[in-house]
Amino acid sequence: MLPLSLLNTAQGHPMLVELKNGETFNGHLVNCDNWMNLTLREVIQTSPEGDRFWRLPECYIRGNTIKYLRVPDEIMEMVKEDTLRQRPGPSSGNRGRGSRGGNTGGSRAGSSSGRGGGSGGGGGRGKSKNR
Amino acid sequence: MTDLQKYVDLTVEVITSDGRVIVGTLKGFDQTTNVILAGCHERIFSETEGVERVPLGLYIIRGDNICLIGELDQERDASIDLTEIRAAPITDISRR
Repeated sequence: MLPLSLLNTAQGHPMLVELKNGETFNGHLVNCDNWMNLTLREVIQTSPEGDRFWRLPECYIRGNTIKYLRVPDEIMEMVKEDTLRQRPGPSSGNRGRGSRGGNTGGSRAGSSSGRGGGSGGGGGRGKSKNR
Repeated sequence: MTDLQKYVDLTVEVITSDGRVIVGTLKGFDQTTNVILAGCHERIFSETEGVERVPLGLYIIRGDNICLIGELDQERDASIDLTEIRAAPITDISRR
């Protein structure tokens, strides 16, 4: 499971974000992207010493300033449901035969350049098998 | 980095660059060593008192801050009485 898929699933849920400078932000995750940039709503900001607090209606956090994120435990279960829902749909058709080994591979099945690229694509995907 | 795969679903200890020691189950990771730790807790070491164990829950730790990830032998770990351990905490190396 990828950390960023967990984060995606956590959209709409409360979380705590600690930055590298020690500041923390408590709020509901509105949006996030592949760089871990976030927007939070209804935020409580806490100073690194934990002695000062601010209320912010909304804030944007650049991903590379983050130290860690604390998310509700339930999100783990929700990610599993999300991935199950996304997988069988688009990949049900010609997927099985073409791809070598076809283990987890590129999760965005539908978007690959199709059957034509079968062998080439398979090679590319082969790499991800090592992980 | 791909070798992290063998730790997935095992208990690992993560040491971050601010000197924290976090123990939890590795649930996932990516190219930049961001990790998902489930059911994790922090161990705070002290020279004068036993180890304090702080429950944390589900964490995503950004790879930038990670110094070390190691598999924890759960049996051996369980046999250690942390309240008897006295040790200096690890220094914060994140602000130098």
